[in-house]
Amino acid sequence: MKRLAAAALMLATILVQVTWAPRLTVAGVFPNLALVVVIAITWTGGVRSGMAWACVAGLMLDLTAPGPLGPHAVALLAGAYLTGFWTRNVDRASVLHPMLAAAAGTAAYSIILVAADDTLGLPVPPLGVAMQLLVAASVYNAVLVPVALLIFRGRQAGGPAIRASSA
Amino acid sequence: MYGRRSQSRSTGLFLVLCASMLLLAMLSEQSWAAPARGVAKSALAPFESAMTHVAANVDRVTAALGDVSALRAENQRLKTADEALRRQVVELNAAAKENATLRQALDFERSFGHRMVAAQVVGRGPDGFSRTLQIDRGTSDGVQPGMIVTTGAGLVGRVREAGPHGSIVQTLGDPQSRVNVFLSKSGLQGTVTGGPAALQLDVEHSLGIAASSGEWALTSGVGGGYPRGLVVGELASVTHRPSSTSDQALIAWVNDPTGISFVLVITDFVPS
Repeated sequence: MKRLAAAALMLATILVQVTWAPRLTVAGVFPNLALVVVIAITWTGGVRSGMAWACVAGLMLDLTAPGPLGPHAVALLAGAYLTGFWTRNVDRASVLHPMLAAAAGTAAYSIILVAADDTLGLPVPPLGVAMQLLVAASVYNAVLVPVALLIFRGRQAGGPAIRASSA
Repeated sequence: MYGRRSQSRSTGLFLVLCASMLLLAMLSEQSWAAPARGVAKSALAPFESAMTHVAANVDRVTAALGDVSALRAENQRLKTADEALRRQVVELNAAAKENATLRQALDFERSFGHRMVAAQVVGRGPDGFSRTLQIDRGTSDGVQPGMIVTTGAGLVGRVREAGPHGSIVQTLGDPQSRVNVFLSKSGLQGTVTGGPAALQLDVEHSLGIAASSGEWALTSGVGGGYPRGLVVGELASVTHRPSSTSDQALIAWVNDPTGISFVLVITDFVPS
């Protein structure tokens, strides 16, 4: 039941990302809520939870994007894995580290997504444009991750739904 | 010791999941999987439509404060009227410039004489790398991949994928989008490409003729990808490059990609 509720929450997040979030476009990018949530889950619940939810969120994102199912899942997996690697080696209580992890995770997500699209023969933006979008998205998502962490830590205080549901 | 083992297990899980997702990507890309993929993608369309509806209602509630709602509706009405007038001006300017044969070919009304399907925009691409729209009409409504998508103001893009009850449209803002255009005053030809902030135009030089700000770009029909005469946008700025064979310009797209809520799919134009 908890898994279903968590999946429904993730679906709602994806729907918000593809309907509301584009209104918050700055410098050509808008918040990647799925990535922010996956990074927050990884930071609070561990890399395995993060990667499991990265697959779920990625496949949902693939349903809203042109092309085959899978590229967004692989890109989110890279973001989750990198964040998990980060959490093992730093002070988790710091605010700066999750922001840096989010920026690095976004960079990994963007590079893997463009590389996967290129490998699969899907259209990819020119290098200069891709770099510009990567930098802007990294900053944007890094700013949002502390907010997501506040929400997730609040949820964990009430009950570890996401972690328990993905175990 | 334990941490190292845990790390290698996580790495193993990561590699297995990545391989699984890449395998899924390769399988779902096959032509035999296209119908199932279309059905799966269409399944989200009703949820997106509902979310878009909720978003519109929330906007309406918040806008009600201080009569903003009424002002917004009036602004929208005036904006629509302004777009229609601007389109008419562009049509008239373009028609005046062309000779009778070209005018007959241009005939903007003809493009709106095509059969069309109206569709609601229910979502947008999940990130900045692909500027796409999701619409609530699909193959069951006669929409097919490759069809041209417009609004009353002008060209939006092209249908990229179509499921039974939903489709994905690649807009002109997509970095991979290419449209051949001509300019309404100078008659110069060029190619419009997408970009993160504005549409970009590479326009060819001609002896004694140069592109200038304020000109309108319309589809030229060259290449057969789009019907001739659809309005793309207005030249916002032009950078002249004397040492090159072409100038560069930025185009203010007639359609605000974040504000499009309804589109028209031309169902009887077949791109060559």
